[in-house]
Amino acid sequence: MGKSKILSLILRNLISKPATIQYPREKPWVEPDFRGRQYSDLQKCIGCGLCRIECPADAIAMKKIPGEYEVPKKNARRLFPVIDYMKCVYCYRCVTVCPVRAFTTTNYFELADTQHITSEELSLSTLKKKAEG
Amino acid sequence: MAIDKVIEVPYALEIPVGPQHPALHEPILLKAYADGEEVVKVEVHTGYNHRGIEKLAEKNSFYRDIFIVSRVCGICNGVHANCFVRAVEQILGIEPSPRAKYLRVLAMELERMHSHMLINAVMAEIIGFDSLFMNIMRDREYIMKSKEIVTGNRVSADYMIFGGVRRDLSSDKIDKLRKLIDRVIPRIKYYKKLFMEDETILKRLVDVGVVKPSEATLYGLLGPVARASGVKIDARASDKYDAYGEIPFNVIVRNECDAWARMMVRWDEALESAKIIKYVLDHLPQDGKAVPDERRLPRRFPPGEAYTRVEAPRGELIYYVMSDGKPMPYRVKIRTPSVHNILNTAKFYIGYSIADLPVILTSWDPCISCMERLTIIDLRTGERRKVPMKELAGGGKKWVNPRYSL
Repeated sequence: MGKSKILSLILRNLISKPATIQYPREKPWVEPDFRGRQYSDLQKCIGCGLCRIECPADAIAMKKIPGEYEVPKKNARRLFPVIDYMKCVYCYRCVTVCPVRAFTTTNYFELADTQHITSEELSLSTLKKKAEG
Repeated sequence: MAIDKVIEVPYALEIPVGPQHPALHEPILLKAYADGEEVVKVEVHTGYNHRGIEKLAEKNSFYRDIFIVSRVCGICNGVHANCFVRAVEQILGIEPSPRAKYLRVLAMELERMHSHMLINAVMAEIIGFDSLFMNIMRDREYIMKSKEIVTGNRVSADYMIFGGVRRDLSSDKIDKLRKLIDRVIPRIKYYKKLFMEDETILKRLVDVGVVKPSEATLYGLLGPVARASGVKIDARASDKYDAYGEIPFNVIVRNECDAWARMMVRWDEALESAKIIKYVLDHLPQDGKAVPDERRLPRRFPPGEAYTRVEAPRGELIYYVMSDGKPMPYRVKIRTPSVHNILNTAKFYIGYSIADLPVILTSWDPCISCMERLTIIDLRTGERRKVPMKELAGGGKKWVNPRYSL
C-alpha cells in the first residue's frame, strides 16, 4: 500500500465516529422483528400445553393460574405456560406452533440478570383481577 | 563428592498447546513435540466439548431436533439445520417451494460469508495484526445485521422448517440487504488485497503448512482446505441441492497449497457468496408460499432413511437420518467436515517451527464443537474402548434403551 493511501485512511479515521457503541448507555439498533422476549397473552391462551411439548429446550412449564384472576371460559383447566428465560433459546417454536396465536412477541433482548426470570408476571399482567367481594 | 543425581534432557520437548484456547477460543489440545524450534510430532486430543447431540436427537421429536442440531455448531447452525431438514423432507416426501429454496440459499450464504470473515480475522489476530482483526470484525457486523434482517437473530438463525423457511422477506428488507451487501463487498476486496500485499502476512503464511493435492485426497480433507490444494470439491456444485442448480457460481480453487492459499480461498469464496446473495435478491421467485403453517405440518413420519450432504463453510457436512415410524428418529448420524480437517492433519505440522503451530491450526478453520466423539476410558484399569453402534442399539447389556433392544 502506498503512503498516501495510509495517510488518507488515518485522516478519515480521525474524523469519523468510533465503530463501537457505549452499550448500556447507548442502545444498539435492533430490528423490530428480532426474536426477543415472548410471553403468552392469557386472554387468548387456551392452556393446551402444545408449546410445552414442542419446546426444544424444555423451557416451558404449565402452571395453574392463581384464583384471584378472571380467566376466559375457553381456558377451562386454568393452565398457562411459564417460559423460563434462562433456558429459552428464542427459536419461537412456541409462537409458531400455538393453535390460537396467543404469544406476544417483542424485540427485547436484555435478559441477562442475577435473578431467575420467567414470563409469569408478564403473562399474568394480561389478566384482570376479580372484583373484591 | 560423588555424583548421585543426573538431570536427563529429553531429545524432544513436549509442549501442550491448549486446551485453553490454543489459537481459537475453543478447547482442543495439540500435544506438540519439539526438537529445538522444530516440531517433530503432534498429537491431537479432543473430547473437551462433548455434548452427546446424536443421542439427544434420538430422544427428541423430529421437530425439536431441528433446533437441537442447529446447536451442534454456533457459526454453521443454518447448514446443520438445512441438512437435517432436507433429510427428513426426503423421508416425508415433501418439497419446499422455489421461493423457500432461494431464501434458504440466502441464509446459508450469509453464514458462509461471516464464517470466512471470522476465520480470516482470527488469523490476523494470531499473527499479531490486531488492528486488522478489529477492522474485519467491524465489517462483519454488516453481515450479522443482514442475517438478523433475514432470519431474526444474529447468529442462531433457526430458519429452516420442513417444507420451507420460517419467515419471509419483504421488499423493503431486500433493499436494506442490498445496501448492506454493497457496503461489505469493497471492504472484502480491500482485505483480500491486503492479504495479497502485506509483508507481515505473507511472511507468516506463505509456504507454511503445505498440503499437496495427493495428500489432500489421501487424508480426505474437505472444503476450503482441499480447494486450496487444487482439489475441486464442492457439494454445492456436485449435488445442486436447494436452489444451487439455478444460481450461477464458481468453485474457487487455488494451487499454492499453503496456509496463505487457504485464507485466499476463503476471501474469494466470501466474494462469490456476495455474488450469490445479490443474484438471489434479484431473482427471488414470487410463486409459492415460502413459509408453511407450522400448525399443519405432518405429525406422522413414515419409516425410511435419508442421506443428505451440504457444503458448510468448512466443507462437506453429511447427515444420515433413519426413521422407524415413531415420532422420534431412530438414528441421526452427523459427519462434520472438521473431523477430517483436524484429526487427519496432525502430519502437516511436522517440520515447521513452534510459532507456526497456531497459524497452521487456524488455517484449517477448525470447529471444535462440531467434532467431538466419545471414547470410554475405564479409570480403574486404564482401558480405552469405543462403543460400536451395535452395542448402543441393544447388542450389549449395559446401556440399553428398552426402545432400541433388538
